[in-house]
Amino acid sequence: MIGLGLCGLGLVLLALGGLGLWRFSSPYSRLQGAGVGETGGTLLFLAGLLTYTGQVDGVTILLLALLLFTGPIATHSIAKGAFVRGEKEQP
Amino acid sequence: MFALAIGLTAIPPFLRLWQGPSLWDRLAGASGVNTRITLMLATHALFSGQELLLDVALAYAALGFLGVVLVARFGEGGAG
Repeated sequence: MIGLGLCGLGLVLLALGGLGLWRFSSPYSRLQGAGVGETGGTLLFLAGLLTYTGQVDGVTILLLALLLFTGPIATHSIAKGAFVRGEKEQP
Repeated sequence: MFALAIGLTAIPPFLRLWQGPSLWDRLAGASGVNTRITLMLATHALFSGQELLLDVALAYAALGFLGVVLVARFGEGGAG
């Protein structure tokens, strides 16, 4: 039951991240919305998946840790690239 | 069922990937689609019992992340 709740929460966060990515006006706010939503949503969803199916094996925890670390790094590198190339901050 | 739900959340990043005005929106969309695909792989692996798919999801997450970062670095300076 807890797993289902966690999975649902993760799905909500993922959907909100995607919505943010789609609806925001400037690239930076899209990046911020998507990055936060994805990383949190992935964390919750995988945790929910683990508790729901009960098969807790090392690879899934490694996957969770990997996604937890690489998400923000990817968003940072995209934002840095956009900033270096002088992407303007539209209102 | 879970994989389908994740697939539905993959639509907005794909739209952004498709029509994002600048390269950076497309990269954000690509990163979004990547994480959702790894989640779909992980759910399918856990529910169908094929443990091997989890390693595939791990490799896919690492390579997808690498690709996004490299394209971002390339788009940033090029000469470097």
